[in-house]
Amino acid sequence: MTVYDDEILGKAYDGRLVRRLMTFVWPYKWQLFLSIGLMVGSALVELVPPYLLRTAIDGPIASKHIDGIVPIFLIYIITLVAAFGFRYAQNYTMQVMSQKVIIDIRMVIFSHIQRMSLGFFDRNPVGRLLTRITNDVDALNEFITQGTVALLGDLVRLIFVIGMMLILSWRLALVSFIMFPVVIISTIIFQKIMRATYREMRQRLARINAYLNEQITGVLVTQLFGREPRSKEYFAEMSAKYLESQFKSNTTFAVFFPAINLISVTATAVLLLLGSQLVFAEYATIGLLVAFTLYNEQAFGPIRQLAERYNTLQSAMASSERIFGVLDTPEGILDPEHPVALPAPVRGEIVFDKVIFGYNPDEPVLKGVSFTIPAGQSVAVVGATGAGKTSLVSLMARFYDIQSGGILLDGIDIRTVPQHELRRHVGAVPQDPTCFSGTILQNIRLHDETITDERVKWAAEISGASTFIDHLPDTYQYEVRERGSNLSVGQRQLLAFARAMAFNPDVLLILDEATSSVDTETEVVMQKAVQRLLKGRTSIVIAHRLSTIRNVDRILVLHRGELVEDGSHEELLALNGFYARLYRLQYAEQLGGS
Amino acid sequence: MYLGLFVVILPYIIRTKYIEACMNQLRALWPYVVRYRARFLLGLLTSVIATGFAVQIPQMLRIIVNEINERGIIWTDLIHSVLIMVGFSIADGIFRFGQRTLIMGTAHQVESDIREGMFKRLLELDQKFYGEHHTGDLMTRVTNDISSIRQFYGPGVSSMASAILMIVTASALMMTTNATLASIVLLLLPVVTILFVVVGGRMRLIFRKVQDLFGEVSSRAQENFSGIRTIKAYTQEVPETAEFLRVNERFRLQNVKYVLLSGLLWPTISLVMGTIGALVLLIGGRSVAAGEMTIGDLVLFNGYLAALGWPVVALGWTVDLYQQAASAAGRLGEVLQRVPTIKDESHTPVQLTVDGAIAFRNVGISVGDGDAKRTILHDISFTVEKGQTVAIVGATGGGKTTLVNLLSRVQDPTHGTVHIDGHDIRTVALSSLRDGIGYVPQDTFLFSVPVRENVTFGRPDADEADIQQALLISRLSNDVVQLPQGIDTLVGERGVTLSGGQKQRTAIARAVLRNPAILVLDDALSSVDTHTAAQILEGLRTFRSGGTAILIAQRIATVREADMIIVLHEGTIAEQGTHSELVARNGRYAAMYQREQLADAVENA
Repeated sequence: MTVYDDEILGKAYDGRLVRRLMTFVWPYKWQLFLSIGLMVGSALVELVPPYLLRTAIDGPIASKHIDGIVPIFLIYIITLVAAFGFRYAQNYTMQVMSQKVIIDIRMVIFSHIQRMSLGFFDRNPVGRLLTRITNDVDALNEFITQGTVALLGDLVRLIFVIGMMLILSWRLALVSFIMFPVVIISTIIFQKIMRATYREMRQRLARINAYLNEQITGVLVTQLFGREPRSKEYFAEMSAKYLESQFKSNTTFAVFFPAINLISVTATAVLLLLGSQLVFAEYATIGLLVAFTLYNEQAFGPIRQLAERYNTLQSAMASSERIFGVLDTPEGILDPEHPVALPAPVRGEIVFDKVIFGYNPDEPVLKGVSFTIPAGQSVAVVGATGAGKTSLVSLMARFYDIQSGGILLDGIDIRTVPQHELRRHVGAVPQDPTCFSGTILQNIRLHDETITDERVKWAAEISGASTFIDHLPDTYQYEVRERGSNLSVGQRQLLAFARAMAFNPDVLLILDEATSSVDTETEVVMQKAVQRLLKGRTSIVIAHRLSTIRNVDRILVLHRGELVEDGSHEELLALNGFYARLYRLQYAEQLGGS
Repeated sequence: MYLGLFVVILPYIIRTKYIEACMNQLRALWPYVVRYRARFLLGLLTSVIATGFAVQIPQMLRIIVNEINERGIIWTDLIHSVLIMVGFSIADGIFRFGQRTLIMGTAHQVESDIREGMFKRLLELDQKFYGEHHTGDLMTRVTNDISSIRQFYGPGVSSMASAILMIVTASALMMTTNATLASIVLLLLPVVTILFVVVGGRMRLIFRKVQDLFGEVSSRAQENFSGIRTIKAYTQEVPETAEFLRVNERFRLQNVKYVLLSGLLWPTISLVMGTIGALVLLIGGRSVAAGEMTIGDLVLFNGYLAALGWPVVALGWTVDLYQQAASAAGRLGEVLQRVPTIKDESHTPVQLTVDGAIAFRNVGISVGDGDAKRTILHDISFTVEKGQTVAIVGATGGGKTTLVNLLSRVQDPTHGTVHIDGHDIRTVALSSLRDGIGYVPQDTFLFSVPVRENVTFGRPDADEADIQQALLISRLSNDVVQLPQGIDTLVGERGVTLSGGQKQRTAIARAVLRNPAILVLDDALSSVDTHTAAQILEGLRTFRSGGTAILIAQRIATVREADMIIVLHEGTIAEQGTHSELVARNGRYAAMYQREQLADAVENA
């Protein structure tokens, strides 16, 4: 995906974007100014050595005063040390500043993403968000270091050298400037050719990479359909095209570098040729002439650099456009301006009032669902896949907002309560038991330091997770790897239960996904855990286990987004409708087994 | 002299053992380089000539400055000298052009060859290899690692060659002008190279840490974004942000450490070069004042000093490129030298036109050794006659996919043999075997090309009538008409997103178009609705009468018409027979069937 993004490049300077970027730099303006000041200092000091050379040649050397060179040498050394100091300090202050700015930007993006509703995450794959926070932010780093300070540096250096030349001898200076247009024009031509060639190279490489990625992922299909020869042929074609642009770029460089070298030698030649006449006419000295050959070189550097900054700026603009695109995405689910507090303590009465909801408003998943769950009651929601069970739970935690109707907790519309307040009381155990890298302890209490070690252990015992945790090498200090890859699915599920218990919510929502990858023993432990979790707590469970259904107070049956049956297990069986059929279908085997 | 010093010091900088290891790693790619040796050598020759001209330029500067200084010079003489100097520069430029096109261009060619070599090998490698390597890892090898090789053989070799030549000739010429001054310059210049190698090496170490921490920043963010549901459920957004800031701060501090060191490199090199320049002025200036040297000589030394600035850095740089290329070569070698396990067993394999009779004889697969040994398939034997349809059913993880994969040798069994038309398939040419089998895998994989190319993937020369028939059988005709550009609509990220069912039906059309003697459908109707699935199966029966079919299915409705049904359970054949036989047997199959009937009842309520 990033390779495709790369192709979209617009202008190199966009005032609106730059102004917005500068708001991130502004808090560090003193460091920025210091860095610019140091850069000016180093540009000034760099002017000294050629001048010293002139002084030496025209002074002590011309007058055969051998020891006169020593003070010049000493000043030379001092100048070099000063230049070293300026350069080093300048680079250091600039880098330190830009690193701070970068982290600020990254944190702003990160915390903005944190505030987005789940709908945002459904629309934006993790990979895309990662690119924003890594590659695009890096491009901005280039913008700050290359685009602002270094760009300014090139300009200042150029102006200083030109100024110095004019001050020393305007006649020689004018002679030197003869070659400037040639340098400028050749650099611009080179940059133009290279920009086109680079873009072509990038696109062709991106195509190779995309093809390669696809071929590696689908290699089995290629092999089974005997398409290897054609794939090879196609790849060779793409590779040849890329090679062709590489050759083009190589040839351009092969022309440009010797050409620049030739221009610089020619500039020296012109300067010496015409300058000699000024020397003979005593408008200039031989030392000054030698110094000017060096100043000439010093002026060419920044001219070439300036052209190169263009590319950096261009990609920085594209990146900042994308970053601001994320920052400008509204949060989706907002806290109310005048939030209402939930009654203390929260009793846990839940009301769904004619709730209509769809992830896409045109395709409602819940089509006007109404029910009331009194405080302390545990309810199981059953229904076929796609009936809207998961949505029900997501809506209660306000991961999404409904399109019409209302969801009330203790008589208060959940949209009038701050999200963090709501979620502190409404605990949801997600379907996919998420684990994070960190210890078992950290996985249970997350970042909530108010949850003591004792409480974590208590939660682990209640939920039945302690059995496996006690058998781990470092028990609660055991390091869980990314996505919990060193735990089994069952263990991860138990850990998720323990986490829910540690946070002790007033209303509990569980997505009780029965997994085929759980062994019988763990299955029994998990069944017991769910029972304990539900006891005396308002809870909604998406039930897949017979034992769970048997233990709840009431069952809601969803079918194609509507509530079709509502009652206790016995009542619904007696009704002999959906539930009765579903029960026989899904649970008969479990029933027979146990 | 400079070189001598360099050679003496180098082993202390890099251990000789290490160099040997690098050489060994680079040897894996030697064949790719050696075929262009003529061009590389010619490139080195042009480099020699170019340097020969380049070193003359400071000499001309000396002459011109002396001529001006002596004043008596006539205008035409001066023009003459200046033109010669520009002439040398032109000659230098022409040969430099040759050098760049020959060496760097050839390095691009080498890069391209290795890339194609890698791709060729990747196409030959088996699923076992792909199980061991992530796509991202393989991509890195084909892109970054190959690029490192090119960097070394191109800019590395090229600037190394120019650098050494420049250093040798310039040293000689300086020595003839003023031996004392030349000695001082040549003694101090190696400092720059050593500086580059030492500081550069240390920089790379710290930079690796910076990259590791950046990886941590990135994986923190990834973990957060992936687990956002849990984070929101437990209102952990604020502490998560704090945690992310902490990781970022660590990254920043490490970066500052890196900057502290890396910021030293170029200013220090400038300082050293400047000091040499100052010493030239001091000592040379005194000689000029004393009448032992001309001003032109002084300018000459300055000219050589400027000309040597890059070569001494380039030497250090090449060492760096060499190390990177060596480790890249190691990673490339792992792929290039990996031998595919699924390949033609003999040089004269049987060229078979598959007819469709299949026999499994005591086939078993086990993986791992000792305690970790697991049996995936155990003692599977059955025969399928040409033209029969065989269905395989059973719970997930029972080994169904593994079983059908054996047919087209995606994997070879560890025990027993598989026969097609009486031949052990390991004796049959792999290409002719696979030509006879049409395969629809469980995970539908379509390429980002138009629908037409996806369908004709296994038979690019198919005519329009055949394509239309394949679309008809797979019930894709109506869908295709509704796509923006019909059958020529691009599929994938940059085109249309097909539904799961459409993807599966495209994959079926792809397999059917080959008109294979054996058609394998691995749960290939899972995203297709029951009605359409029945139509597709009906179509296959009509159009493919006489063809053998093997189908894996979750739904009994899909398989009940099969000539034989195999119930696979935990790697063994639990039941085998026709639908009515198995229902009558009242075992696993009968239970599955009952459950499915109930499910239909609920769905249709």
